Amino acid sequence: MEYENRQNDDIVRMVNIEKWFGRVYALRGVDFHLKRGETVGLLGDNGAGKSTLIKILSGYHVADKGDIYFDGKKVVIRSPRDARRLGIETVYQEQALAPNLSISRNIFMGREPVKGFGIMDKKLMDEESMQALQNLGLRLRSPDLPVVTLSGGERQGVAIARAIHFKAKCVILDEPTVALSVKEVNEVLEFIREIQREGISSIFITHNLYHVYEIAERFVVMARGKKMTDVLKEDVTLDDLSELVIKSALVE
Amino acid sequence: MTNQESIWKRLIVSRSLSIFVVFIVLIVLFTVFSPQGRFLDPENLKVLLAYGSEFSIIALGAGFLMVTGEFDLSVGSILVFCSFAFLKFFGLHLNLFVVLALTIGVGALLGLLNAMITVKGQIPSFVATLGTMMLWRGLTLWFSGGEQQACDVSSSPAFVSFLNGNLGNFFPIQAMWFIVFGIILGVILHLTRLGNWIYSTGDNADAARAMGIRTDIVKMLSFMVVGILCAFVAGIQISRVSCFTARTGEGWELKAVAACVVGGTSLRGGIGNMSGIFLGAFTISMIENGLVVLRIPYFWTYVVFGLVIIFSVLSSMYIERQKWAQK
Ligand SMILES: Nc1ncnc2c1ncn2[C@@H]1O[C@H](COP(=O)(O)OP(=O)(O)OP(=O)(O)O)[C@@H](O)[C@H]1O
Ligand SMILES: [Mg+2]
Repeated sequence: MEYENRQNDDIVRMVNIEKWFGRVYALRGVDFHLKRGETVGLLGDNGAGKSTLIKILSGYHVADKGDIYFDGKKVVIRSPRDARRLGIETVYQEQALAPNLSISRNIFMGREPVKGFGIMDKKLMDEESMQALQNLGLRLRSPDLPVVTLSGGERQGVAIARAIHFKAKCVILDEPTVALSVKEVNEVLEFIREIQREGISSIFITHNLYHVYEIAERFVVMARGKKMTDVLKEDVTLDDLSELVIKSALVE
Repeated sequence: MTNQESIWKRLIVSRSLSIFVVFIVLIVLFTVFSPQGRFLDPENLKVLLAYGSEFSIIALGAGFLMVTGEFDLSVGSILVFCSFAFLKFFGLHLNLFVVLALTIGVGALLGLLNAMITVKGQIPSFVATLGTMMLWRGLTLWFSGGEQQACDVSSSPAFVSFLNGNLGNFFPIQAMWFIVFGIILGVILHLTRLGNWIYSTGDNADAARAMGIRTDIVKMLSFMVVGILCAFVAGIQISRVSCFTARTGEGWELKAVAACVVGGTSLRGGIGNMSGIFLGAFTISMIENGLVVLRIPYFWTYVVFGLVIIFSVLSSMYIERQKWAQK
């Protein structure tokens, strides 16, 4: 089979994924794969099914049909817990952080190191948080600052630092640059480059083709629950890509 | 910045500051205005600490739960139901500590039931516990006929001194339990990983779930903590008054919410700390006691509650804004 031949290269392979929401046929047999160390831009109009597809990968939704292979093995992902255990981390805009909790409590959320009797090792959490942020080039004053006090770009930095710190194998970025200032967008794009330098695969969903074209190595375009196009960056110009996205949305 | 300055600043920006101010102001007012300063009389302090701690212990649980973003309006009804359960277990002539343990089991179950309706039924806890509040109160009235019933626990002095004794000559053991529960819950909330799960669940349940935290289990545990504390207080009350009273705990649900809110806990969850909740609970108990000592008619209690709630919420919002402005 074609899949098995390519299995070794792929960190993620989703085969013939279907998803219904009541009477909405959100995903109509989508195949998607992501190679080790690769960054794929996932594009498409509003409601195309991008978020639904990646939420199936991150365990937020369960597919009605289809298989998922991770790291060469067939896996069943029923919850975010399952996904996280495999090494799939998600960075949603405004969704992955608890705003009133401190930076270090956020970075270690759900994976707090303990000293015994369930008591958190706060010193370790603080040190490692600051280190993880520094590796991203982010110098924040204190690990105790609540996340609400950070800028939008810094918040994405915290979420991305968390993913890198916990050695994610696949990072999903669902519109990480939405509602950010130009300066913050550049910061976030720089964080994504750090993910690439770490050799971590990522899926980058955005409506901004300029952002994604700079960074991704391959583009997948979806429309109305189907995959329409799957092209390598070297085979398209930015203009081609924008035309592909618009045309896919119009095709019936 | 010197160290002293930073401590001061931290105090200034702490949400518990407003409750601390209210607390001190009330102590001063009650002392000054009570006849012969009777408020600070050891006998009165004893009453306040012994009797007030019953409500205060329950308010601790309500605050703990509120940090997860949930309410429990059924605390008073769990209390009365547990009192009745205690009475029934007592009738089986078991060891009183066994009776207490069984009652705590009942409390935990009632808490779990609230959690199930809220979490599994996906009903807001405000509504779910409004339902159980009426249900348990109504059932208890029905089973007991609404009558007071004797439950003489004096046959076991060990039990009485465990729940209604004094430490040394003066310090009521109820107040010790209040402090002990405050410390235990405070340690859980602030220092353990469960505490971080509780805060995360209350602050952003979606994020918590995405990070693999079982928010449903976190909520279940917290509801059970409330039930357990209510059951424990049922034991304390019975050992104090040696009877079952069908009206016990009436109105406590909103007083508990008030205690949490004046203590700086956010109704939406994710914000709050145990020292604030502790002080808030104590303050509410103190207001009731203080007004009695001042011989002020009972309805004034609600006026004072109202003013205290509004003042502390407004001031903690103000503090909050200052805090972000400083950063
Ligand atoms: N939880 C849900 N319940 C019901 N319908 C849903 C749900 N989530 C998504 N849908 C529907 O599924 C379809 C695909 O939505 P999805 O969010 O995946 O689109 P998207 O490509 O991420 O769009 P956008 O760019 O606007 O984020 C839409 O028709 C949407 O209304
Ligand atoms: Mg989307």
